[in-house]
Amino acid sequence: MTLDILLQQIYDSQLSAAIRENNNAFPWIESFHVLAIVAVFGTISVVDLRLLGYRSHRRGARQLIVDLLPFTWGAFALAVATGLLMFASNAVAYAHNAQFQWKMLAILAAGLNMLFFHLTAHRRIVDWDEDLPPPRAARIAGATSLALWILVIFLGRWIGFTLSIFG
Amino acid sequence: MSVETFSGWLYETPFSTALRDTDWVIPTVQTIHILAIGVVFGSALISDLRLAGVLATQETPATVVRRYLPWMWTALVVLLLTGLLMVLAEPGRTLGNVVFWSKMALVLLAFALTLFFRKPLLDPAFQAEHARWRKATKPAAWLSLAVWVTVIFCGRWIAYA
Repeated sequence: MTLDILLQQIYDSQLSAAIRENNNAFPWIESFHVLAIVAVFGTISVVDLRLLGYRSHRRGARQLIVDLLPFTWGAFALAVATGLLMFASNAVAYAHNAQFQWKMLAILAAGLNMLFFHLTAHRRIVDWDEDLPPPRAARIAGATSLALWILVIFLGRWIGFTLSIFG
Repeated sequence: MSVETFSGWLYETPFSTALRDTDWVIPTVQTIHILAIGVVFGSALISDLRLAGVLATQETPATVVRRYLPWMWTALVVLLLTGLLMVLAEPGRTLGNVVFWSKMALVLLAFALTLFFRKPLLDPAFQAEHARWRKATKPAAWLSLAVWVTVIFCGRWIAYA
């Protein structure tokens, strides 16, 4: 079975058809997707800026991450769930859309950047918790994360201009 | 002159036409708008949850508000400017749109709540525990969050109204 057959099956599913046929479904899903994205970016940028050396509401970087990470993850889960629904409604077109493909790669890169940070600089966070600016590895992780999430949002917005709805 | 004739006239102006004809302008302006909403919402989330007594309660509300309020004001200015560009590019989509005007009213309400409940905290001499409205602080924080969420939803629904 090729990928296109699978995508077509997703498109033909009852759930996808329901999203396409109900006029209000897509705008509602989009609204929650925007809310989720805004919450992901709003919370992760505070952590990224702290890693870059901007003061936060917490003296230490460790406690700030503990404060905000649950919100970032919760919002990210909502973004994935709503994103999957939008994808399902028009699976073939999304999968072939260049902006969508780049967006997925950018999210993957943001995830790898975070994983790398947690396996390296974050392991020694007690050593630099209150340092301003933080060590170079943390600053690079923060800058990379910020740039990638901005790129993700830009690409996401571009999808809307390159993909005709239910085309 | 009706709103409709005004939108029609605005739509035909060279500036409005130029905004629409350059294909990267609107997606870029919208992206900056969403990023700025992220800054406002992230700041509002952390500050309101602190004022509601849910998050970072070991820190004083003033510490938290002092950190996020300047970012909020800056992001609000960016939102107004990018929003203005979107209205200029597609006046017909917004000026006669009830969702758009509801959103503007809600932004004004959120702004007023922020100004009233947070700005006094920037003054070191201000003692929140003695303020006459201290009992309203928690409900106002939850209301502020709800208003911002509604603003975001309205923003998406402008396109469909």
